[in-house]
Amino acid sequence: MRRTAILIVPMLAAALLLSCRKSGPNVAAGPRPYTIATIVKLDGIAWFERMREGVQRFGRETGHKCFLLGPAQADAALQVQIIEDVIAQGVDAICVVPFSVEALEPVLRKARSQGIVVVSHEASNQVNTDAIIEPFDNLAYGAHLMDHLAHHMGASGQYAVFVGSLTSKSHNEWIDGAIARQKGKYPQMELVTERIEEYDNQNTAYEKTKELIRAYPELKGIQGSASTTAAGAGLAVEEKGLQEKLAVVGSGLVSQCRQYLVSGSTKLISFWDPADAGYVMNKIAVMLLEGKRPSDGLDLGVPGYTQLRQDTEKPNLFYGSAWVDVTRQNMDAYNF
Amino acid sequence: MRPAIVAARNISKSFGGVQALREVSVALHRGEIRGLVGENGSGKSTLIQILAGVLGPDAGEIVVDGKTHAHLDPREAIRAGIQVIYQDFSLFPNLTVAENLALNTELEHGTRFVSRRRRRRIATAALARLGRDIDLTQTVAELSVADKQLVAIARALLHNARVIIMDEPTTALTQREVQTLFGIVADLKAQGMSLLFVGHKLQEVLALCDAITVLRNGRNVAEGEAAQFSPGDLVRHMTGRHLQGRPRATTVSEDEDLLKVTDLSKAGAFAHVSFAAGAGEVVGITGLLGSGRTELALSLFGLAPADSGTIEIAEQAVRIRSVPDALRAGIAYVPEDRLTEGVFAEQSIERNLAISGLSAWAHPAGWISPARLRRVVAPWLGRLRIQTPSARMPVAGLSGGNQQKVVLGRWLATQARVLILNGPTVGVDVGAKADIHAQIRELVGHGLTALLISDDLRELAEVCDRILVMHRGRIVREIPAAGCDENALARELGRLE
Amino acid sequence: MRALLHRHEFYLAALTLALSAGIALANPAFCSVANLFDLCQGSTVMGLFALGVLIVLVSGGIDVSFAAIGAFSMYVTSKVLLGLDFQGSAAVALVLGGAIGTLLGLFNAFFIGFLRLPTLIVTLGSASLFRGFLLAFIGTAIVNTLPAGMVRFSKLTLWEMRLADGTIAGLPASFLLLVVAALLVGCVLQGTMLGRGIYALGGNPVAAARAGFNLRGRQLFIYGGTGLLSGLAGVVHACMMRNANPFDLVGMELNVLAAVVLGGAGITGGRGTVLGTLLGVGLIVTINNSLILLDVPSYWQKVVVGAVILVSTGITARTGWARARGAGLC
Repeated sequence: MRRTAILIVPMLAAALLLSCRKSGPNVAAGPRPYTIATIVKLDGIAWFERMREGVQRFGRETGHKCFLLGPAQADAALQVQIIEDVIAQGVDAICVVPFSVEALEPVLRKARSQGIVVVSHEASNQVNTDAIIEPFDNLAYGAHLMDHLAHHMGASGQYAVFVGSLTSKSHNEWIDGAIARQKGKYPQMELVTERIEEYDNQNTAYEKTKELIRAYPELKGIQGSASTTAAGAGLAVEEKGLQEKLAVVGSGLVSQCRQYLVSGSTKLISFWDPADAGYVMNKIAVMLLEGKRPSDGLDLGVPGYTQLRQDTEKPNLFYGSAWVDVTRQNMDAYNF
Repeated sequence: MRPAIVAARNISKSFGGVQALREVSVALHRGEIRGLVGENGSGKSTLIQILAGVLGPDAGEIVVDGKTHAHLDPREAIRAGIQVIYQDFSLFPNLTVAENLALNTELEHGTRFVSRRRRRRIATAALARLGRDIDLTQTVAELSVADKQLVAIARALLHNARVIIMDEPTTALTQREVQTLFGIVADLKAQGMSLLFVGHKLQEVLALCDAITVLRNGRNVAEGEAAQFSPGDLVRHMTGRHLQGRPRATTVSEDEDLLKVTDLSKAGAFAHVSFAAGAGEVVGITGLLGSGRTELALSLFGLAPADSGTIEIAEQAVRIRSVPDALRAGIAYVPEDRLTEGVFAEQSIERNLAISGLSAWAHPAGWISPARLRRVVAPWLGRLRIQTPSARMPVAGLSGGNQQKVVLGRWLATQARVLILNGPTVGVDVGAKADIHAQIRELVGHGLTALLISDDLRELAEVCDRILVMHRGRIVREIPAAGCDENALARELGRLE
Repeated sequence: MRALLHRHEFYLAALTLALSAGIALANPAFCSVANLFDLCQGSTVMGLFALGVLIVLVSGGIDVSFAAIGAFSMYVTSKVLLGLDFQGSAAVALVLGGAIGTLLGLFNAFFIGFLRLPTLIVTLGSASLFRGFLLAFIGTAIVNTLPAGMVRFSKLTLWEMRLADGTIAGLPASFLLLVVAALLVGCVLQGTMLGRGIYALGGNPVAAARAGFNLRGRQLFIYGGTGLLSGLAGVVHACMMRNANPFDLVGMELNVLAAVVLGGAGITGGRGTVLGTLLGVGLIVTINNSLILLDVPSYWQKVVVGAVILVSTGITARTGWARARGAGLC
């Protein structure tokens, strides 16, 4: 018992010192290193590993203390907990990729009420945030993927769509855009069932795809949203030997999907470079901390983000034009 | 004298400073049933475990067929033919009867693979020896207690047992099952088996055994042919006291009714109950099951409040709608089942003693000083003669009688004035029973009133000043204890049938 | 026949059949060889875990570290074989993964058998420890390219056919592993003194000690064996997914425990069979993999899975109680 006390006292003292350091105003003049936490949906998957590279590169280049954290399971409550933790640590800014936009509102409000700058990504409807930076207009991106899917399906036949979670705003907007495009431009195509959740889990995407094939033998296309769908659905299609019949397109990373691009089960993956996204979120956060407001046409000096477009209705929402399409032909240009 | 098959000679054993056995000897001859009797805590269990090789003695020796051992290990004991039927039977409830019977044998033979046929053969043979038939494919959990015991005995016989030690084998049996067991024991004896019958139900021991060894406080105090002992002798040896024929000192002060109950009714339980009890008086309440006596006790303690009627304590009307009401009024209740209703077995003795009076001893802010607790509780350890090295030991470590004393003490420590005792000596051995009776008398001597609810007519006749007989929710008779005995009471109750 | 009606497995099988019939009525696609194969494949990893959990539950313990052991074995095996640039057979990966799992299981057994700590506490602690160690010291990045042998194994099928609609239906080789493991565990539990000792230990540990069972040896076997099965499950999972993701597997503990309990294993020890466990796994996998066939909307899928688990455990538990009450136990 006494030994525990001996350990606890210096720990408390350290914690107090750390918190004192934070008591000054956040919008400090002059260059000082800020502490910026980037909180993602799920740690460990290739997507966010790549984002971590961008976050760390920004930290190295600018001298700010930047780090990336995320829950080990895709779970809104766990993400809230992590944000609570970094608030308690006293960071200057939080960049966040929400698992569930609604679930994060209270904790982000709390962060902002304590003077912490909040920048969001993949969350165009976030309320409690200072700036939202989207790699592109979600509806346009989804429609763009649908164009590719329709191309591989010969613009007719049955297709199904996946989202990571029904609460993931951007995934659902992509699918909204895709379905709208299909209805307008490809009337011969038919959506077979409601959007399927796969919880950012490759195994789930794989099992659900096999079940789809069983339930809808005429299925000709799958459009994925989470990066795990392009791999999981690709694996299922490959195992079933349906490369020639059933096309998979979706967001994804080359490292995860290379073998399915090679086997032809996954036709095309598209992504925006999460490293760049992490980089620009942190850059915007520093701008805000320094009292500068982003504006329409802003050039962040990163490919795809050289001319930001400000949303007409929501002045703190900005779009880049940062999507990259990858097929078997050009996949070797990407090492992540 | 014939040589003994197994004998323990001058065995001593202590556990952390407590001397459990002191130079105890016991010997078993071929074809003999020996009773080993003693109160809880007299050292019976320790002796059994030493004979079974589970414990090693500190001093003394164990002689098996004339060969002397300082210490048996369990395997040696089994090889020597010594088998213990533990109180819990040591069976596997999830396995079938056949497997329970065969498992030990298979284990002994170093069997690796199970054979259904061999298992069945072993099991059938084992039960055949007892002349009983039990479905071998049933799981033991589905058996009655008596059948479980049969399985345990049959299993013991498989190991070429010559000596079977039965630890309180009749505890959970019905009267008829006890008779069956006695039949089996007699059969075994006829087959030349020796049995050590451990118990404290004197009638059973006297009826069954050829010879008796009595232990008290870890010592041999008496030994001999069963015919030499009367029940009274045994009790005297076990407790070291004369318990019979104690004249009751009349301490009743007639001037004041401490408790006065008028016209108390509760629908479906009792109706129009009126009685009074003075300070220093023990009033017995008896009646058959369903007579309403327990319900009456519960309503006085606020657990199941009465519908109408009045209760007065020291001429003050009190309203009892809940347990705290009753406690405030100075009414304490000692429950029937000492373990499930009574003690917190894992908690210390002092905490158990203090639990009912916590609110009285707590600091106004709600915290309780351990030192104060100890001060309040300490005198009761002595007054109740609770035998323990420390008040901080868990109650679970005490013998049954001592546990009952803790329950008693808990309520006494609240400074209660009216004590409701519901079957206070159920399941308590004879010495502890006498202690509790003496304690009740002593307590009323301090100006308390006790209501003693009991089935034990002898207890009622010995302890009470007056006995109220309840029948179908009403008090139908009041019998003064003076000149009343067990038999007279039984006649009174018999008349109600 | 009467004995059959008393078997928990009978009710479970009946329930599974009834459920399957219902699904088949709603969507005839359920009744196909291909779907059966898919269900078998979907049951493989969960089944291997469940067999390990069964052994532990029968012995009267509980294990919540198996998923962490599986993830650890899978990831370390993949990393080691990649590091060695190993091109050989997947059997080596399975042996290595199994060995790592066994070691981690023996780690549990040490605390449980020798230090006599409660199994829940030990395995809760070790689960955190294994996982933390894995993520902190070994790595967090997904291994996207498995050793060649494992990739070959993932494509290996026991039996394969091309169906009329052009799809391939294949029963993966890894399913054989589950079958062999189930037969082995079944034989050990039912047919050897080692196994009977585990039931005895779960039924009455005090009596087991008095009877002279070597309890420490049994604990080593129980937790080592569970570790072995978990390690194998991990490697098989990696092969099926063709990647090794250190974040996978952890999170399925409750589903596996539910399957085993559904299969009739008593959480208090001493009860449970391999057949029941496989049926329990089969039932849960069937439910999980039939919701699209039934066109259950995503929002409702979790509700349906939860409700079916609750109802089916409820029904099977009730039949158990009724029997016990009939025998005068309750």
